[in-house]
Amino acid sequence: MQSVAEFDNVGLRYGTGAETLTDVSFRLFPGSFYFLTGASGAGKTSLLKLLYLAHRPSRGVIRMFGEDLVNMPRARLPGFRRRIGVVFQDFRLVPHLTAFDNIALPLRIAGISERDLEGPVNEMLAWIGLTERADARPATLSGGEQQRVAIARAVIGRPEILVADEPTGNVDPDMALRLLKLFAALNRLGTTVIVATHDIHLLQEIEGAQMMRLDKGRLSDPTGSLKHPPRPLVLRN
Amino acid sequence: MRLPFTIAAHDRKLIPDGRFTGAMPWVMAIMIFLTLLAAAAALVLAHAASKGGTELSRQATAQILDDDPGARQYQQNRVATQLEKMPGVASADVVPDEEARALLEPWLGQAASDADIPVPALIDIEFVTTPSRERLAAMQRELSRIAPTIRIDGNAGWLQPWFGLMRSLLLLAGGIVLLLLLATAATVALAVRGALNTHRSTIEIMHMMGSTDLQAARLFQRRVALDALFGGVVGLMGAAVILLLLQERFATLEPGLLAGAAMPLYGWLLLLLIPAAVTTLSMAMARWTVLSTLKKML
Repeated sequence: MQSVAEFDNVGLRYGTGAETLTDVSFRLFPGSFYFLTGASGAGKTSLLKLLYLAHRPSRGVIRMFGEDLVNMPRARLPGFRRRIGVVFQDFRLVPHLTAFDNIALPLRIAGISERDLEGPVNEMLAWIGLTERADARPATLSGGEQQRVAIARAVIGRPEILVADEPTGNVDPDMALRLLKLFAALNRLGTTVIVATHDIHLLQEIEGAQMMRLDKGRLSDPTGSLKHPPRPLVLRN
Repeated sequence: MRLPFTIAAHDRKLIPDGRFTGAMPWVMAIMIFLTLLAAAAALVLAHAASKGGTELSRQATAQILDDDPGARQYQQNRVATQLEKMPGVASADVVPDEEARALLEPWLGQAASDADIPVPALIDIEFVTTPSRERLAAMQRELSRIAPTIRIDGNAGWLQPWFGLMRSLLLLAGGIVLLLLLATAATVALAVRGALNTHRSTIEIMHMMGSTDLQAARLFQRRVALDALFGGVVGLMGAAVILLLLQERFATLEPGLLAGAAMPLYGWLLLLLIPAAVTTLSMAMARWTVLSTLKKML
């Protein structure tokens, strides 16, 4: 099976410091659902940054969608980034844009017309329960509301890979479950989902999801996800 | 080609105007105002040098120094007649004796009109093109057969230092225009870098969502273009008022070296192009600054 992302002996070092990630190797398969766990400082966010093309590795090979990203010219990266949705740990909403405009941003960057994006954005706002707050700016939204907007922004473009860094950290358990169901629904439509979390309850909610664990920058494979193709997902309820 | 003013309203919101502009439009207005004045000075000097200077350098004066007033006048008329027959001579006008004496009045006072004081007989010669020194010498040799004491002095000779000064001033004005354009470009680069720092997080987010460098650059180009346009209009209005006032002053000057020191029509048209050129330069600078800064990001 062709993988959507493949890391081979990847190492990442910031400046002249010690390696944050060491000899990381794995493959992500299309339509699979992964949890990335590990203690704080284990390197989860760094690994996700490599996945959403915010950094190039210090060594090793990264292939995404069948192409070598390490040596890819900069000018080609935007096209790849549009195929990846990202939920940042700190949300990273644009502070002077409304919730509507923040969610619409990836579609506008991709050149979707206003007429075509209005429906999907309003649907997404309804889904995350923020229709009434469409014109609110991030500063006036609660932490949970901001996180929902960040998630809506990440998934609105129906990305092929969804990378989420602690996406449920600021929401109540019900909302966390709803968000997880959204991720699972996207996953069933073919999106590869990788969620970094240290909430072990979440891991139990999705049967068939596979787990990768990072420990001091090294990857382990408790569910064998790195060796075997994914199993069908089942949401517990 | 997409114009910088045609980006969608929602894209404009990405870089809020208030945070970027500040004093920038006024700085642009001052730079464009100064550039226009320096360019106007260059244009006026160039025009004066080519018009007034060329006219004067095509002129020469023949003087006949014979002591005998009768012989002087006879030779003056004959030389004038002979000159008009010579190829390349547009006209040869005898300067009346009273006029010649009037020229000496500032130095000799009333004594200049005393018939006992010998005043050279003068002939104003206008050539079709500026005569060379050799040509004037040859003419003098030829005409000395009619008037042995004749001396022909071309204006081009004494105009050389004037032309030199004009050329220096022209170069200086041109240099100032270039320096001002460089300073404007540097100001734009600094302002855009500052704006990029202010909006760094927005640009990073856009990048992570697949925005190209050009998409980001367009946002800054538009802002800079609007500032430069505002500065252009204000600077042009200010410079036009000053130049029209100066033009009025020049118009009252007696004909002479500064007779051509007025802004020609093509000069006004060129001045109108300067704000447009500065706007284009500023946009190009903004684009280059954004692209070169973003290149350092992944």
